[in-house]
Amino acid sequence: MTVKYQSQKIAQYFYTFAIVLFLVQVLVGIIAAVQFINPDIFILNFNTIRTLHINALVVWLLAGLMGATYYVVPEESETEVWSLPLAKLQFWATVAAIGAVVLGYIWMGLDPQANKTVMGTQLLNEGREYIEAPRWADALIVVSVLLFLFNMFMTMLKTKKWTGIQGVLLGGLVFLALMYLPGMFYTKNMIKDQFWWWWVIHLWVEGSWEVIAGALLAFMLMKTIGAKREVLEKWMYIEVGFVLFTGILGTGHHYYFIGTPSYWKWVGGIFSSLEPVPLLLMVWDAFRTTREARNVTNKAGLFYTVAHAIFNFVGAGLWGIIHTLPQVNQWTHGTQITTAHGHLAFYGAYVLLVISMIYVTMPAIRGVTTYNQSRAYLAFWWMTISMVFIVLTITGAGMVQVYMERLMGLDYEAVKTVYNMWFWIIRAIFGVGFLIGTAIFVYDFFKIGKEPAPALAPAEQKA
Amino acid sequence: MTNKAARNLFIFGSLFFFVIFLGLTVDTMNQIDGRAPEITKDVDAGKMVWQKYDCIGCHTILGNGSYFAPDMTKIVEQKPAGYLKQFLMDPRGVNPKAAMPKLGISSQEADQLLAFLTWISKVDTNGWPPKPILAAAASVAGQPQSRGQQVYQSQGCSACHSIKGIGGTSGPDLTKVGANGKDAEWHVKHLKDPHSVNPKSAMPAYGGVPEADLKELAAYLVTLK
Repeated sequence: MTVKYQSQKIAQYFYTFAIVLFLVQVLVGIIAAVQFINPDIFILNFNTIRTLHINALVVWLLAGLMGATYYVVPEESETEVWSLPLAKLQFWATVAAIGAVVLGYIWMGLDPQANKTVMGTQLLNEGREYIEAPRWADALIVVSVLLFLFNMFMTMLKTKKWTGIQGVLLGGLVFLALMYLPGMFYTKNMIKDQFWWWWVIHLWVEGSWEVIAGALLAFMLMKTIGAKREVLEKWMYIEVGFVLFTGILGTGHHYYFIGTPSYWKWVGGIFSSLEPVPLLLMVWDAFRTTREARNVTNKAGLFYTVAHAIFNFVGAGLWGIIHTLPQVNQWTHGTQITTAHGHLAFYGAYVLLVISMIYVTMPAIRGVTTYNQSRAYLAFWWMTISMVFIVLTITGAGMVQVYMERLMGLDYEAVKTVYNMWFWIIRAIFGVGFLIGTAIFVYDFFKIGKEPAPALAPAEQKA
Repeated sequence: MTNKAARNLFIFGSLFFFVIFLGLTVDTMNQIDGRAPEITKDVDAGKMVWQKYDCIGCHTILGNGSYFAPDMTKIVEQKPAGYLKQFLMDPRGVNPKAAMPKLGISSQEADQLLAFLTWISKVDTNGWPPKPILAAAASVAGQPQSRGQQVYQSQGCSACHSIKGIGGTSGPDLTKVGANGKDAEWHVKHLKDPHSVNPKSAMPAYGGVPEADLKELAAYLVTLK
């Protein structure tokens, strides 16, 4: 098995960049975890480390999704990418821009006064969570995404095969690009600032990204199992439809207590309680399709695909719904409960999604049918068990914090430095476990298809 | 259901909910200005200082941020203004145990930041953060208190100081303050003007409190051993 169109191999550039940033994210994540125990452990303060941790996450997931799109669109359109040089230019320009932003963060971390105000905006770090990138970088990111979308759209125009999968994928990406814009202007009013900020953050991770996940889930089930496109696409429409029906008004669960009117408690409470429904549908879809599986060659690819569907539901769905009602959220808002949800949701919904796409598409990119899959499973268990325990320790810390600080009125610092200390220590230890899993995965990525594969059983050879 | 019907449900259903969302957004934008005080030049400058130092990289505000340091929404109601300014400019000079590093915040920037934080404390947050219900229940059902304990509570000493683990960590722990060799007279003097006995102190002066109350409080403090 090999790629049908040579230009699909460009996906590998983006995957490689994504994986390097993944490793950076996990490394700085461990530093941040240790800073909970001793804030002075590292030359850079916690705020810089955390900015790197969450920005590396967002960028590597976006790079991974871009790579996946460069693979999927030619396959669906049955033609080469419209312009390969443009794709390479877009790749290197993105790497250069991200590199400059990271250097800026580090510079500011070493000298906070370097973050000067130029033309009404900060030069190195905008000081807004997740979208810390300065305004000049925002502009470069927009240019990069526009080049990418233009290239993909021109590819689709070449053959005009409008499949459901690529339509939803591109729709999700256009929605994603549009939802970056509400984060690109200054507002004097902090309430309005946070209102528009949530458009970016929430409508990304609980809107457009889940739409992209729905499209890629259908693609991966089709590739690994050979399931029927008609059935997959019908359920995909229903899943991503419910994602947006619940997710758009579900934004209201961020508008309970930030100065916005109280009717958001009703809107957010009702619609965000329904947000796990489409994620459960995706799990059912994955199980239903997998039951029909015959002669699966890329077992690891399918394994990750199904695991993604399950942990998307557990992390984004279950760990979200426990604190989404305003009656509960008034106590948990702004505590470690949110951190726990954030970790499991990003891991289940998007880290596993990008890794799944890598395992589903890399064998073809490297021109092999089978490959040594044992490291894929080893990496999965190291990462997943570690992440589950990281999330359990943070959830425990959050419960202690809610009880002692919010209900009993104890001091924030006392709860953090005394009562939660063991949770931080255990969390950091499992962070090292996660790093081991990540390292196995990164090593495996570079080895897929480059070493002799184990012999196949006769039944599998025909597939 | 045919694929085409499913596709149309997805597209038009999503548009329907997005239009409702836009309508609510317009209404919210119209209401927001009325839910907070006017934004002065200093408040705006303070928000820029907030962003310049990436405060949200550790703290939360309105409950959103990094969960590594305390929430700043009501901080100006919890700590004295003079203390906050001195702390912002040199955290460990005020509280050696502070986790916050010295960022080089200037005196003017500190004033602007405090103007911004004062503004944010007055935002109508639908009652968030709620008062700790167990603490309230305990003080109703609690044991009878001495006059000195009542003064300790009514003056909000526990916002910064703690006794046996209850209270803030901004100021020194008072659990064994009676064992430090200072008598009640010294405590009264210190309470009236902390600078007179410790020039580096960030504690506000409580000279405005009736002398009799200060004496009761000092009598209570020397019993803590």
